[in-house]
Amino acid sequence: MTSYTDVFKNGKRQILVADDEYINREMLENVLIDEYDVLKAEDGEMAYEMIRQNRNTLSLILLDLIMPKLTGLELLARLSEDPDLKSIPVIVLTSDQDSEVASLKKGAFDFIPKPYPQPDVIKARISRSIELAEDRQIISSTERDELTGLFTIEYFYRYGNQFDKFYPLADMDALCFDINHFHVLNERFGIAKGDEILKCIARRLKTAFPDAGSFVCRKAADTFLVYCPHRDDYSKVVEQVSAVIEEIEAAVKVRVGVYSFCDKKLDIHSRFDRAKIAADKIRNNYSVFISHFDEALIDAELYAEQLVEEFPKALAEKQFQVYFQPKYDIRGDKPVLSSAEALVRWSHPTLGMISPGKFIPLFEEDGLIAQLDEFVWRRSAEIIADWKKRLGISVPVSVNLSRAEMYDPGLIDTMKKITGDNGITPKDLYLEITESAYVSDSDSIVERVKTLREHGFFIEMDDFGSGYSSLNMISELPIDALKLDMMFIRSAFDKHNDTRMISIVIDIADYLGVPVIAEGVETEEQYLALKKLGCTIIQGYYFSKPVPAGEFEKFLLEKKGE
Amino acid sequence: MLTIDALKQFGADTNDGLTRCMNNEAFYLKLVGKVVDDKSFEALENAVAEKNLDAAFEAAHSLKGVLGNLSLTPIYEPVYEILELLRARKDIDYAPYLKTISEKRAELKELIG
Repeated sequence: MTSYTDVFKNGKRQILVADDEYINREMLENVLIDEYDVLKAEDGEMAYEMIRQNRNTLSLILLDLIMPKLTGLELLARLSEDPDLKSIPVIVLTSDQDSEVASLKKGAFDFIPKPYPQPDVIKARISRSIELAEDRQIISSTERDELTGLFTIEYFYRYGNQFDKFYPLADMDALCFDINHFHVLNERFGIAKGDEILKCIARRLKTAFPDAGSFVCRKAADTFLVYCPHRDDYSKVVEQVSAVIEEIEAAVKVRVGVYSFCDKKLDIHSRFDRAKIAADKIRNNYSVFISHFDEALIDAELYAEQLVEEFPKALAEKQFQVYFQPKYDIRGDKPVLSSAEALVRWSHPTLGMISPGKFIPLFEEDGLIAQLDEFVWRRSAEIIADWKKRLGISVPVSVNLSRAEMYDPGLIDTMKKITGDNGITPKDLYLEITESAYVSDSDSIVERVKTLREHGFFIEMDDFGSGYSSLNMISELPIDALKLDMMFIRSAFDKHNDTRMISIVIDIADYLGVPVIAEGVETEEQYLALKKLGCTIIQGYYFSKPVPAGEFEKFLLEKKGE
Repeated sequence: MLTIDALKQFGADTNDGLTRCMNNEAFYLKLVGKVVDDKSFEALENAVAEKNLDAAFEAAHSLKGVLGNLSLTPIYEPVYEILELLRARKDIDYAPYLKTISEKRAELKELIG
């Protein structure tokens, strides 16, 4: 632990002088300026604001009792109610003996009379108060985690804060260590062994960070935090901590999130939130164990949060639009428009067009996808009905169903209501269900799909080839079309030009007696190759990008003309 | 120009005041130069005129702190006197006290020039 003789060696501690009299402020500043970083406030509200802003660095407050806007006693009361602020010691400046007692009762640490005593007396009282306050903070909390003997989180944060007051100029890193799949270790070896592992990691962390300026704590079950002077490389540490634990002969994989050169203006727990964000980024990555925080991560989180937050408004304000991408039957000499896929677009008033790749995964995570999908289904049905009425022609439009929706017991009623409300039939609306939906809980999904088909809906299996369905299962699947995963097309036509996998899928489709749809087709070369391989239907930029409903009408009118 | 000697002559306990200023004469004289314009003087007069004894007490209290810190005894003493009367919220004629304070203040202003 750092001793108090070191206190002023590196940088100065910060003191706030709050007094409405200019002369009193100047006089105190003049006394303290050589040893302290002095902030000044000329009324109670200003003092309160400055205390809040500097709560992580402020060592002491010198407070005049009679001030405009907010009196010293009122300010004392506010501070004592705020858990973040109440530990900052306050010395009251007063010329009134009556007030001395009153302010001590309200939580002041000490008082300095006016007229001021000798400068040496002022300085001695201040440094003694700071020492006492810091000791008190440390003593009052439960210092140690019982299991590992490391600091508890509360003590760790306080101690980190205190260190910052000693060494405001030190470059510090916040680290968050997580054990990958600790619960698996617990299950495999038992809780007692799990505890052994934690203790072992704690010992290794202490060895890795031996100096007085580094602090280690256990935050939750398997999360360890370290606050330490900056290092460029933590790979050795991760190696040491992850080494085989001999008594159980198992290697523990530890990942660490690093927030380097902490911004000291952030609360200490926010600094560790950043380290945690970095650590979480590599949670499912089995080859990378060190992840550095950068501002882009915060931006990405904030962006995601904004999108989720604005979803209801966007839906109400019709910021979502349904676009249509045509699909062509390529079996004959000339491609013939066969159907379309409905795709959602978000036209945001300030962010512009937002890619579905950005918001759909978010909404899937949040469950908002159900509302968005239902909007797309309904809107598509309305548009199909409109085409039929105005143009006298339409094509089936396929819409996407997410895995969660497949479990919704009301799904079939919803679908029937949407078609019924718009005077169209189930044959007008194709349903694209991703292959991965079948895999997770195949029995109940297969049952649901069967029921949808019995009601006349046409089922396309989307992203086929990405979801590892077993060949055994495929033969039993109730589907009407197989849609090739876009990656197949991409990899088949990259430099290797290897289309064998596509041939296999086409054979499977033949065996099942269903057509194969290829999406993501961009060039004539791809189109011709797929046609030759026996692919039935093609979708992609080669024919058209997804377009708004109005623009899609030209494809319909073309077909009608033929 | 204001000097330490002139302040001594005026009756200020300059040794005491200088100690609080870490014996920095220029700094001490600068602060003394500021105190004659302290807004609490006017605040005290106005509050007494409006018979707002609470506000008068606060103003006198502020003045006492500042004058005490600078050891300007000749003004400090009448301010101290009026402060104690105001503390008791005595319903008396404060004019003579204010007059002494303002005379002493004018004297100091003269010294500052």
